[in-house]
Amino acid sequence: MSPDILDEASVIWFGPQHVSAHGWATKLTLVGDYIVECDPNAGYFHRSAEKCLEFRNFRQGSMILERICMMEAFLAEYPYIAAVEKIVDLEIPERAKIMRTIMLEFNRIHSLQFWWGQFAGELGLFAMLLWPWVDREYTLDAFEELTGSRHTVSYATPGGVKYDFTPKFHAKMEIALSRVKERMPVFDDMLAGSPTFRLRTEGVGHYTAKQALKWGLSGPNIKACGIPMDLRKDDPDPNLAYGMIDWEVPTTHNEEHPGECDAFDRLLQRFKEIETSLDIIDKLLPLLPEGPIIDPKARAKVNRLPEGEGYGRVEGTRGVTSVWLKTMEKAQTPWRAKIRGPCFASYYSLKHIVPGARFADFPAIFGSLDPYPGWWDR
Amino acid sequence: MSDTPGSASTLGRAIINKYPDIESKPLDGNKIELIVPPEKIRDIVSLIDEQVSDALPESLFGIDLTENKYELIYIFWSHANKMLLQLRVHLEGEKPEIESVCDIFPGLEWHERETHEMFGVNFKNHPDLRLLLLPDELEGKFPMRKSFVTDRSRMDETGLAQPKSRPESGGESS
Repeated sequence: MSPDILDEASVIWFGPQHVSAHGWATKLTLVGDYIVECDPNAGYFHRSAEKCLEFRNFRQGSMILERICMMEAFLAEYPYIAAVEKIVDLEIPERAKIMRTIMLEFNRIHSLQFWWGQFAGELGLFAMLLWPWVDREYTLDAFEELTGSRHTVSYATPGGVKYDFTPKFHAKMEIALSRVKERMPVFDDMLAGSPTFRLRTEGVGHYTAKQALKWGLSGPNIKACGIPMDLRKDDPDPNLAYGMIDWEVPTTHNEEHPGECDAFDRLLQRFKEIETSLDIIDKLLPLLPEGPIIDPKARAKVNRLPEGEGYGRVEGTRGVTSVWLKTMEKAQTPWRAKIRGPCFASYYSLKHIVPGARFADFPAIFGSLDPYPGWWDR
Repeated sequence: MSDTPGSASTLGRAIINKYPDIESKPLDGNKIELIVPPEKIRDIVSLIDEQVSDALPESLFGIDLTENKYELIYIFWSHANKMLLQLRVHLEGEKPEIESVCDIFPGLEWHERETHEMFGVNFKNHPDLRLLLLPDELEGKFPMRKSFVTDRSRMDETGLAQPKSRPESGGESS
């Protein structure tokens, strides 16, 4: 790039006040309406969650993680519990395993419902902003019935789960899930079937699978390139029930550019994700056995942990979510807790994806990566 | 899964054959930990890049072990081999230093920036070591070090009101 072009460049801060910036700020250098440089800025939400975890015991810690990403609260807290269970070597009752898995998938559906609305709203389709959010209320009602809380469910605890499924919860979950199933074709029509929406998203925000791996992208952002990388299949947590049933990892293939994906592919991929979650819940519900939901000895075991290291991972809605814990002998609190948020990588990768795109495409690019600021700021 | 190609132990052996001063420790499943001397980190990470075609740079972070001892952990995941590689580097000194590897795996660039601001580990040849998450006006350095004070003695910096002290004897009746 010759320097005289940059003489005419203008610098724009996209956010933190802009409506579709959700409170984070990206510095864009523009020539005309083409973006030549993108500098994502993190830190607006930094609350030092990792340091806070060093002052909370092993039953309290997961509540901090939930507040990092409210949309996938249960998926966010789960890696911490998995890491604690690895250090103590806890095996939980089978009923609890299945209940955990159902709730993880139910939470994933909720997070994707939120994303539909958010993405459509960012691209100016305001009817579609509200429709999935209305459906989301049914999901939240079911959460409230089970745990008393609409977002921060804190459902699991080391050794099992806290509350048993009641007939009333089953009824509310049935309503929420049938609502999702019923409305999927409508949303598919409104987003994937809409010519305007396709124009805004097709060919926008291209990257190849190889690039995505180097940047650290995971979850739907890499499955959209056709790589079935999914921790639910590859490295499932021993205390979850993904191995008990037969299911397929969904992937999307771009026919024009194999091994690449654009914003539209990532949209299609997230439709498939919700179908997979519905499929997993449908297959797991009949398998639910009778029995205890928590290991009664677990509570005493997690009061003080032995010296050790544990790495808990789960396939979150947005990608690999993990917590790495180190404990010292007879620890009441972790010595070090590292949270790996999936959006840390996707926000970073904007730096490479965005240059060359037009300014109006910017919301389409970052919206399609499903960013959530809590994950990079923590 | 001990000797099949693509297993963690096979890769571990290949690395140790080339660099004999590296120790390995098997973890559960197809996972392996390599203890890498700081000066070898670039060699090992480029070797991983060559040998594992779909390595995902999952995480990089520091641990403060007090008394000026630090550890860095690098985590790589391979989907094709279902393999997890964990590199552990011991660092010492008031100002620990290590070579940056973010030109090999760009995804580690921000992880290195974060470790730099939180633990004061200097990554040599890193293109951009500005603060990532912390505000410029923060007083005191390296919040994730154990020596960083987080108690009420630093309340003034927050600009919040000091909590009122409680009356000693239940208050007066009038």
